Order: sequence, then C-alpha cells, then structure tokens
Amino acid sequence: MSKLRYLALVAVFAIVAAACSSGGTTDTTAASGGGSGDGGSDAPIEIGMWIAFSDEARLGFTKDRAKEFNELHPEYNVVVQEFDSYNTVFEQAVLAVDSGEPPAIIHFFEAATRQALDAVDASGNPVFKSVTDAVAGRGAILGEPVVLDDVVDAARNYYTVEGSFYSQPWNTSSAIMFSNTDMLKAAGVDKIPATWGEVEAACEKVMAMDNAPKACITWPNHSWFVEQSLGQQGELLANNDNGRSGRATEVFLTSDGMIDYISWWKDMADKGYYIYTGAQRDWDGTSNAFQAQEVAMLVYSSSDTTALTEAGDANGFTVEASFMPYNEAKGYEGNLIGGATLWLLNGLDEKTQDGALAFLQFFNNPENAAEWHKITGYIPITKSAEKLLEDEGWYEQSPNSKVASDQLAAAKDTPATRGALVGNFVSIRDVITIAIEDILVNDLDVAERMAQANEEANKLLTEYEQLFGG
Amino acid sequence: MLIPALAVAALFGAAYMAFAVGHRTPARVAIGAGAATVGAAAPPLALGQCTFGAESTSVDHVLTYALMAGGAWLALIVTRAVFDSRDGKSEAAGSSMGGEIRSGGFRLGWWVPWALLAPTLAILAVFLYTPAVQTFTLSTKLARLGAPRTVDVCLTNFSELLIQDPFKLVLYPLLAIGAVYGARFWIRRTEPGTWNHRFAEVASVGAMLSVFVALYAIFSPGGDGTVKYRPVYVNTVIISVGIVAFGMIAGLAVAYLAFQKVKGATMYRTLLIWPYAISPAVAGILFFMLLDPTAGIISNGLKEWFGIRMPNYRESAILAQAAIIMASGWKILGYNVLFYLAGLQTVSVDQVEAAVLDGASPWQRFVHIVLPALSPITFFLLVTNLTYAFFEVFATIDYMTKGAPAGATSVSIYEIIRVGVDNGDLGRGAAQSVLLFAAVIAVTLWQFRTSGKRVSYGGG
Repeated sequence: MSKLRYLALVAVFAIVAAACSSGGTTDTTAASGGGSGDGGSDAPIEIGMWIAFSDEARLGFTKDRAKEFNELHPEYNVVVQEFDSYNTVFEQAVLAVDSGEPPAIIHFFEAATRQALDAVDASGNPVFKSVTDAVAGRGAILGEPVVLDDVVDAARNYYTVEGSFYSQPWNTSSAIMFSNTDMLKAAGVDKIPATWGEVEAACEKVMAMDNAPKACITWPNHSWFVEQSLGQQGELLANNDNGRSGRATEVFLTSDGMIDYISWWKDMADKGYYIYTGAQRDWDGTSNAFQAQEVAMLVYSSSDTTALTEAGDANGFTVEASFMPYNEAKGYEGNLIGGATLWLLNGLDEKTQDGALAFLQFFNNPENAAEWHKITGYIPITKSAEKLLEDEGWYEQSPNSKVASDQLAAAKDTPATRGALVGNFVSIRDVITIAIEDILVNDLDVAERMAQANEEANKLLTEYEQLFGG
Repeated sequence: MLIPALAVAALFGAAYMAFAVGHRTPARVAIGAGAATVGAAAPPLALGQCTFGAESTSVDHVLTYALMAGGAWLALIVTRAVFDSRDGKSEAAGSSMGGEIRSGGFRLGWWVPWALLAPTLAILAVFLYTPAVQTFTLSTKLARLGAPRTVDVCLTNFSELLIQDPFKLVLYPLLAIGAVYGARFWIRRTEPGTWNHRFAEVASVGAMLSVFVALYAIFSPGGDGTVKYRPVYVNTVIISVGIVAFGMIAGLAVAYLAFQKVKGATMYRTLLIWPYAISPAVAGILFFMLLDPTAGIISNGLKEWFGIRMPNYRESAILAQAAIIMASGWKILGYNVLFYLAGLQTVSVDQVEAAVLDGASPWQRFVHIVLPALSPITFFLLVTNLTYAFFEVFATIDYMTKGAPAGATSVSIYEIIRVGVDNGDLGRGAAQSVLLFAAVIAVTLWQFRTSGKRVSYGGG
C-alpha cells in the first residue's frame, strides 16, 4: 500500500508539472473528461491518446489526424498528449493506471512489449487488451475498415504474442545504412558495401584519401543495432525462442554472434574507421556527423530516411540507403523491426472502446499510412499503403524510402528475426550499451566484459520474473 | 547475535555517561545504558530483524552493527543534551542568544507556537517526511514501477554496493575514525604555534582524507553480483569538490573585482548574477552548444579560423568531468558572487584603512582582513554549494554527457535517477538515495563541527 501512496505523490507532481508546461491542453482535457464519464449524448466521448513524439512533424501529423477523425465522428473527441520519450510515456502510463485516469490509447516501443503484456492494475487485471480481441472479427468499426489483417508480416510477427496480435502497429522501422555516395566515389568505392568485410575495405580507401573525413562510419551505441545483428546472424538473444514459445528466463550476451559483432565494432573503432560520439543512444550526434560529412556512412533507423535524404540535398551530397551490412562469415537470416505500437486500454466501456478502435483503424488507413511513411521513413504499415505508394510512383521518386520495407520483406521468419520479448528489456539494453561503451572507451577485452554484462543482465531478468512472472 | 550487541551498547552507554559527561549519579548511568540500548535496538527492530535471518550474509551483519552503533550514538547525544539543558549548562552560543529568546515568549500558552507552526509542519509532513520514510521502506525491497508485487530483500540493496569482505569492511572505517580522533587528540595536547602543533594540523588534514580513502576502499568495484559503486563514488567526489572549489574561488575572485570602484560597477554586478537565474538544464544545453565537437560554436570557430579539430569532451573522462565542473561551477557562480558582494560590503573599512597605514600589501590585506571577515559567508556557501553539487547537477549532466564516457560523469544523483527512474528499479534507487541522504547529513555535520570553530561572526 505504501508504494501506491508514494506513486500517487509522484503523480501529483507530474500533474502539476504537466499543468505548468501545457496549461491549455490540460484544461480542456479536464473539462471534457468530466462530461464524458456518463457518456451523455451532448458532450463528445473523450478518447485520450498518449504518444512519445514531441517533434513538430510527427506530433503535428498525429494531431491533424485526430482533428480529422473528430470532424468525421463528432460523437468522439480524440485528445493527443505528447511526451518526450518512450520511457516517459511508459512511466506516466503506469502511474496513471494506479491513479485511475489512464488514456484509452498508449504508445509503447517494441522493447516494452513484455512489460506492457505483464502490466496489471491495482486489482490485478491486465492493463491492456488485445486489439484483435477487441475488434472481435468485425470488418469495420463505425464505418472505418479494419486494417489489422493487412499489416505487413514483419510487424505482425513481432507483435503477435501467444497467438494474439496484441497492439496496433503504427511507427515501424528497421536499421538500414545511409551512404554519402559522393564521398565513396571520390575514394574509389563504386559499390555500396553490403558486408562487414566490404565496409572495412571501403573504409580503408576512404581514410586513405587526401581530404579524408574525421572517420568513415558511425552508428548510435544503441542495443537495437546489436539485436539487428543477432537477427542477421540467426542467433537468439533470449531462451525459449527469444521469449516467444514461453517466457524468457535467460538472456545470452556471450553468444558467438554477440561477441563477433562487438569485436568487429571495436576493431573498426581501433582502426579509426568507426567514430564513437561518446554517448549512448546518441541519435543526434551520429546523425549530425553524417550530415556534416564527417563520416561517409551511417547505420541508422529508417525512421529518418526522408530527413537524411533531404539533409544530403541541402548540404550538397547524395545520400543512398542500403541494407544494414551483415557478417559474411555467418550469412544473412534477416533484420527485425523497431519502433512502437499503440496499445488499447483494458476495461473501457463499449462505446469508448469502439471509438478508440475506430480511430486506430482510421489512423492507419492506406492514405494516412502512406502519408506517415512519406514524411518520416517509417515503413508503410499495411500492404494497401505499400500498393498505394507504388501506384503513385513514390518509390521511383524516392528510392531510399523502399529500402527498409525491402529489407524486412527479405528476412526469413524465424525466432531470431522476430526479435526478443524479454522482461526488464529497457534495463538489459542499458547493460549492453554500457558494456559496449566501456569496451570502446576503455579498450577492454570483449569476451570478458560481456561475461560481466551477461551476469548483470540475467540478474535483472531473474528479478523481473520474481516480480512479474507467473 | 542481537542480544550480545545490545549488551555491548548498554555497557557503552553507561560508560559514556559515567566518564564523558561527568555526572556520575547511578540514575544517569542507568538512563545512559537504557538510551543506548533503545537506540541500538531501533534499527534492527525497524527492519523486522531480517538482518539476522537465515539468508543474511556477514556483510549484512556488519551493516546492522553499524546502524546499531549509529542509533546508540544518536540516543546518547540526545540524552546528554537533555541532561545538559536541565543542568542549565547550555552551549556557549546559547547563553547570549538564548537569553534574548527567553525574554520574549508566548503568554497565551505553550501551544501557541505549535499552532503557528502547524501549517508549515503539515506541509513538511505530507511532502517531505512521508516520502522520506517511504524511501527508507522502499530501499529494503525489490520493487519495480508497475510491478504487481514487491519482494523483501532486507539490506541487500545496500550491501551489494559494498565490498563483500566483512573484515575489511570493519577495519577501514575504524582506521579512518581512529585517525580522525587521534589527530584531534594530538592537536588538543599541543600548544598552538609550536612545530608539534603544526604537524598535528597536517596530520588532521591527512586524517580527513583518510575518511575518503576508507570510503573508496569499502565501495564495491563490481563483480560477484555486486553493484559497481566505487566509480560512482569517485566521480561524485571529484565533480562535487571541483564544482565547489571552482564556483567559490571564481565567485570570490569575480566578486572582489566587481567590488572595486570602477565605472558602471552596478551594471557589472547585476550582469554577473545572471547565471544564477538559469536552470541547470539550460546551463547544460548552453555548454553543449559551446563544446560539442560537431555542432558546437567553439569547435566551429577553431576549425574555421585555426584549422584545429577540437577533441570530443565526451570521449575522455578528464575532459568530460572538467566540462561538467565548468558548466555547473559557472551556473552557481552568480549565486556565490551575489553573497560575496554582500559580504564584502560588511568588511570593516576602518580595519582595511588601518592595514594600509601599516603598509600591508593588497594581497596581505586580502588574506588577513578580507578573507577572515568573509568566513561566515564562505561557510554558508560551502554548505549550499555542496548541496547544489550533490543534488542539482542531474540536468546539466544529462544534457552534456548522459554519464559518458563509460560512466565517468555518472555522479550519485545521476545514478539514482538512472537506476530508479529510467530503469524503474525503485528499490535500488531508493537505497542509493538513502546513501546520498546519509552522505549529505554527514558532510553537513562535519562542516558544522570543523568550520564552525574557525568562522568569525565578528562582534564579541
């Protein structure tokens, strides 16, 4: 009980802080929230939606779609509330569930899938409901056609747990490589490197140039890239088929694939080919280095395909996207997805739930999904959206945008490429990036340091299973 | 194990009352023994005696004994204060100030001051004391944000921060405490002005440093399922000391310059205080914008004009720590300047003029007149700056380095938020914040005891 009170107190602070930072929105939320309780006929039913994007492009897109939906369905009022990171949304959602005021739709990243499935409220009921169960086989909800069956396989496979397609995919990406082809050509590299060996050979040429850049390649020290490499090499991160045939109870941070990838990474850094920006999860620093032509290649999320391509145009160089380089010694099994999905709150009354479901389908209808893809670089989430873009001639116009979809379609469907579902995943990812930083900065032995990380990560997982497991 | 330890506490309490206080009535000795026993029994009882359970380790036992000793010590201090006030033997400071207070008083009754205090106390209880108590409770649990249950882990959250060798765990702190008290004893037994006394003073500085060394030795370097806390401790010491030293020395220097009679001094003074109005997060962003090797202003300038490539401060532990110290020290600079400017106005002009007539150089005047006159301000700033360095640097670090490289700028408050909030590990986060709480109490007490004697408040 005491923990609850503590959390309530934190929630009070959070509410005060939220009220200070965005007075207007909170006021309207509170006002219309009061009217919606009894589902009265006059006031529209409020559907809260919490998302982890606060940038103009992505937040603006979401708010515009909510506005359109509200005009189409005046009986509903979708209210979008933004947060600055996936972690913040997750924390706030957990607190809101405890205090009894959670929104109907919450945006979670892929690493929180296990935690979202395990989340229970104070009386022990699951916090979220499977979207498939809520749709219950209907073809359309309030006139909005259901797009769940149309979702591309890679996303469906990742978010299908225990046979149920749980959350509504929205922003889905993959890790791909962006090359400054002008620089590569100047160094005499005519073909974009596709394997570790080719990357190394290209880097040797790039760094041998007279006006060599600061380094040849970079990517953020984010565990996601490690997971991508494990998928490519066909290796598991966790037991029980990456936590998909049963709850994961052990993670493998000392597997061959893991050690090989990090050793290659360290080797590239030691040779001066890879530049470490000095911070973990440094999306901005690595992207800036590429845009400032301080590196020739960038392994990154496809979510920024549009922005990076445009930045190249603006700075006078050509950006070409390609598959993430793989280990030629192991072969290629496939990359996995990243990004986030929208989760539906459990225990909503039928009218609110249908409104939320209808919005989710509207939000991801072919036109909206295609538009979302265009402004960002997240893959078109449904096959119809892909077809729409093809018919429009979008891919001829911007070939970089197709790479992520192609890469995901090229993956074999195995537990390794479906990605791991692990409890405490966010912390375990931290353990991995801390270890890698230690290895890169302090020049440590890879196997030794990863053995230590393995111990820490498994302790975290064991503790999680103690608190959440069956 | 509990009963023998309590017996030791009772004996010690009795001995303390008999010898240290000097009132050797049997009643008081008995009360001393009782107080020490109760104080020593409180921590293990509050923990539900889990520290002596089947799963407890010898490190847990050592921690428990330390807590019991602390409880007994606290109880004895309180008991002694009660006896002293009953004997009318108030502290020296109380004699002049206490007199003034006693001349006032509330005629309506004893409850009036309490009624006036009630609103403040209520707010403190709700927003400060309750969460504090709950943090203590949480620190003995394995708890995660949103988890359906918690698991009691007793003192594991604390013991895993320490080395797992109970012998060293007892030995090092005892050696350090022995050194501190030994040096104090030596100083007391020597005459001021003699060489012997000077050696003793040097030894007392060494003894103080030995406390830091002992703490370094007892925090775990990682491995064997423990938390790698030693680097966090080292970073905290380096960065906090750096911020306080830089902030205060630069603050005094700037204030002294701004205090000179120059044209437009008022404007300078106003401008100098501005950094204080900036939040730590903004300070972090500002210095990030200055120092970032790719997007930074300084690196661009160096590259454009001199063709120099600036090193990435986030890749080197020393540069990263220096950057944090610079940003945080700059942020607190305005605050220090403000107080030093106010302090400089109180320095007696007569004394300075007399020193000028006596032929003292500006440097001599500064060292022998201005500095001692500023000592109350310096003492106050030492406490506030240290609190700032312990608690307020999170945002600056988060924007500038995020604890990089390899945790070299992860100080204790950063670690608490990383563990407790980002990773959602509430129990460990709570345990680390209890540790930081204890550290701040200890540092403040130590400052009051040592600096208090050297601070001159002027007057009688």
